[in-house]
Amino acid sequence: MSKLKQGKDRPTIGQVMDEAGVGRRQFMKYCAGMTALMAMPPMATTAFARQLRAARLPSVIYMPFQECTGCLESLTRSFAPSLENLIFDTVSLDYNHTLQAAAGVAAEEARYQAMEENFGEYILIVDGAISTNDNGIHGMSDGHTFLEQLYEAAEGAAAIVAVGVCAAYGGVAAAKPNPTGAVGVADLIKDKPIINVPGCPPIPEVMTGTLVSFLASGVPDLDRHLRPKAFFGNTIHDRCYRRRFYDRGLFAKSFDDEGARNGWCLYELGCRGPTTYNACATIKWNGGAGWPIESGHGCIGCSEPGFWDQGGFYEPVTAKLFSERGQSVAAAAAGVAVGAAAGLAAKSRKKKLAGETE
Amino acid sequence: MSTTATQAFAGAGAAEDNRTAEQRVEGAMSAFARGFGATVAMNMESCIHCGMCADACHFYIATEEAKYTPIWKAEMFKRAFRRESGAFAPFFKILGLKKKVTLEDLEEWQELLFDSCNLCGRCSLICPMGLEVAELIEIGRRGMYEAGLAPKELVDRAAQQAETGVPEAVEKPYADLLKEIGEKHGVDIVLDKGKADIMVCAPRSDLNRNPSSVAAMVKVLNKLGANYTFRSDAIVAENYGYYAGSNGLQKTIAKRVVDQAKKVGASLVLVPECGHAYYSLRWQAAELMGETLPFKVRHVTEYFAEQVAAGKLKLNKVDGLPTAFHDPCQLVRKGGVMDAPRTLMSELGVNLKEMYNHQGYSFCCAGGGGMNDIERSRPLRLKAQEMKLREVDDTGAKRFLTSCSDCRVAFDDAGEHFNWDKKTESLVELVADNIKE
Amino acid sequence: MTLLEFARGPMLHFALLVFVFGVIWRLVSVALLGFRKHYSEERNSNDKALMVGTATCGLRSWPHKEFIGRTAFGEAVGYGYHIGLFTIVLLGAPHVIFWQNLFGFSAPWWPTLPGGLITVVSVLTVVLMLIATIRRAMHPPLRQISNFDDYFTLAILYAIMLSGLWAVLGGPGRYEFILAAHIISFNLLLIWFPFGKLMHAFYIFPARFVNGYLHAKKGAAT
Repeated sequence: MSKLKQGKDRPTIGQVMDEAGVGRRQFMKYCAGMTALMAMPPMATTAFARQLRAARLPSVIYMPFQECTGCLESLTRSFAPSLENLIFDTVSLDYNHTLQAAAGVAAEEARYQAMEENFGEYILIVDGAISTNDNGIHGMSDGHTFLEQLYEAAEGAAAIVAVGVCAAYGGVAAAKPNPTGAVGVADLIKDKPIINVPGCPPIPEVMTGTLVSFLASGVPDLDRHLRPKAFFGNTIHDRCYRRRFYDRGLFAKSFDDEGARNGWCLYELGCRGPTTYNACATIKWNGGAGWPIESGHGCIGCSEPGFWDQGGFYEPVTAKLFSERGQSVAAAAAGVAVGAAAGLAAKSRKKKLAGETE
Repeated sequence: MSTTATQAFAGAGAAEDNRTAEQRVEGAMSAFARGFGATVAMNMESCIHCGMCADACHFYIATEEAKYTPIWKAEMFKRAFRRESGAFAPFFKILGLKKKVTLEDLEEWQELLFDSCNLCGRCSLICPMGLEVAELIEIGRRGMYEAGLAPKELVDRAAQQAETGVPEAVEKPYADLLKEIGEKHGVDIVLDKGKADIMVCAPRSDLNRNPSSVAAMVKVLNKLGANYTFRSDAIVAENYGYYAGSNGLQKTIAKRVVDQAKKVGASLVLVPECGHAYYSLRWQAAELMGETLPFKVRHVTEYFAEQVAAGKLKLNKVDGLPTAFHDPCQLVRKGGVMDAPRTLMSELGVNLKEMYNHQGYSFCCAGGGGMNDIERSRPLRLKAQEMKLREVDDTGAKRFLTSCSDCRVAFDDAGEHFNWDKKTESLVELVADNIKE
Repeated sequence: MTLLEFARGPMLHFALLVFVFGVIWRLVSVALLGFRKHYSEERNSNDKALMVGTATCGLRSWPHKEFIGRTAFGEAVGYGYHIGLFTIVLLGAPHVIFWQNLFGFSAPWWPTLPGGLITVVSVLTVVLMLIATIRRAMHPPLRQISNFDDYFTLAILYAIMLSGLWAVLGGPGRYEFILAAHIISFNLLLIWFPFGKLMHAFYIFPARFVNGYLHAKKGAAT
């Protein structure tokens, strides 16, 4: 953890790059990659690079709540040490109790110090959902509920990045019946810019890329679930290399049939690709080595709100099974009853109108 | 004679109706309601408003006026059904989605139901949903009658026929007319025989205008040695109650024929060349009476064709003159007498040139359903007839036959108007003239 | 619960129940009006009439040659978009999965057509529907007899077709929202079904049959 000066005295990213011996060519290549990822025109690369170089390294406070450390694992387990890792490694990660050497009171003190010194300027990264039931006592650290800690840390944040589907929407912690009343950051904090980077876990390049893009040009374009459109603008289905099989109506019906071996569409095996927005199909995982669908498993929709509660992962999601046979029988019976009543009423009305007496 | 029924409906003439509007609408609703059965309901519920029935109707084809769309003619009946008897009648009623049928509405529809519909049933064949459109219109007419909105021409005739057995004021009783025809044409006409196997009727229009076809029918019967009789009390075949849309009058009129047939112990009632007389006696009389009739009803061409088939009637071949035959809709399309006329014509060796629209699909003469008697509908009728005459001409025929006196009246009128080069002749006359001795 | 969840979960199930309830209501109330007893001597036997009635169910789909000259266009357009709709609903892969999901059965034998073909059929169907709509609004007899029911039903159908096409062609807007709109419009169709002209789907064969049967008894033309 670098000990850098705080506030206006903090070095720019350009300075950090120079210190680390990153050449201009490498830096430009990285920026070109970023702008391409974010679907910006090639001409924008130069401006992006300039802005990024000029940006000062921010103070980052990383708050873990109801989480599993999977997101942090993802973030720190990037394969080739890339430039964004370098930037991330060199940012002033002033508090992350999983990574930092300090523990206990010392760690908490470091957090309070960073919050105070960078009030209004630090980036708050939240990992994990926040319990709200019973005043949040289901999730505590250092004698404080996560709820209190979130409000406290959010107050001086320039922006909040909710990393992982739990921090974004409650995720696994909020799965039915959600005993702790877990919610995402955006459910609690309404007065700060919030960027959601959901996933279980999110793609590391998407996390660092979001951070870099925030450093260069502020809060990026977000979708209605507050996700950066640059990474969450398309469905998995739209970009899936198996899409052509869907279009031709060729589906694997089980995981060991001819269709599965031929690499056909996994829609019928429950793939959530059509309704899941994420960059897996383009950025892929493990440094581009592969991604779930390429490995033969359907998308489970981990970057979508409520993904844990959308039925079995192997049930296609076109329609919810209509299992209420009893209800349909009741509806039919009611139809017979009302129809009979209407028919008999019409019949007696007919007799009355026709002046017949029977 | 059931004068009570006559009196009950005598007030329903259009002009002298002194009931309140409400009572008259009530009358219409009562007739509509009698039609609210499952079959009719299904017909009305399944109409998809495709408008194809217009393409079957000669009045629409001739004028291209939207109001002649057949199903539109039944609109008031449909509306009443939706409001009173459909599955969602309470909704339609409470929410006012279907307006109550008013006397004004009915008055507006009078023209569509009587002056521009022959009840020919062609629309029932075009409907892709299989709706019996013509039946809906017919029930619509019955409602109009009960509202006192049937045309006076038809109501007066119907009321008179119900009361006296004759649909017009006559100087000479029809029985006398019949005797004269027999004398003039040299045939023995059996009248008022106490017991007979066959009771025969005659069309009023033939008695007056084409007596030779009545004589021709009798000539064939005599030749066959049939045990038949006319009955003074039920000579007239037509049923003006059917035209006027009156259940009561139609029943009274039909009952007279039925009673006479029962009285003479007839096993067969022979309907002369008259389409709607056939339809109303063959298919509606028993329904109105609510009982199975103790005799069969046959059209004269049907009877003759049966005799030909049995080898009892042998005919000479006629000349090779190209001939067109008009299929009367009440007899053929609606009545089911499909093959008899053609059996007779082929026995006669007639050089038949079929019209494009023939047999079940023929265009109506445009005079049926009472339109012959409604003077104000003549201009419209002529438009449709012009089309029909052209179709006959297109066959290249020099002779034009039919087997319905009402059709002949209509064609004669149109032929005169357009100076048509053909005269409409009776098939029965052609048969009578060519009996093999 | 997201909109899509709502659309394909509770709303769809509710719509199904309304559909079942309403359709049965309407059919029962019509059937209970009663069929009239007939007294006239029949020309054809009951067996023959049953045969003719059954035949009429199919034969009436094709116009008699006497009418075809005037109705060919209207019938081609009408039947055309019906065939299109059935093709899409019964042979489009996502729809086949939809039915299997909804009713919980598995039918690996159920054939599907390539998505591209379904898209082409959909576009053609919409074009035919447009022609049908324009015709309804312009052709005098059609215009005369058309009512709210006709236009509202068409509107729902358009909503289904266009949202479906939109989802497949990836138009602007979020996929799950468009998909939700597609399913919601289908739910509306189910709910509206028993109350409007869509019921013709249930009446068409009984109506054809009954009239074919009654005409056959008289020997009349069918």
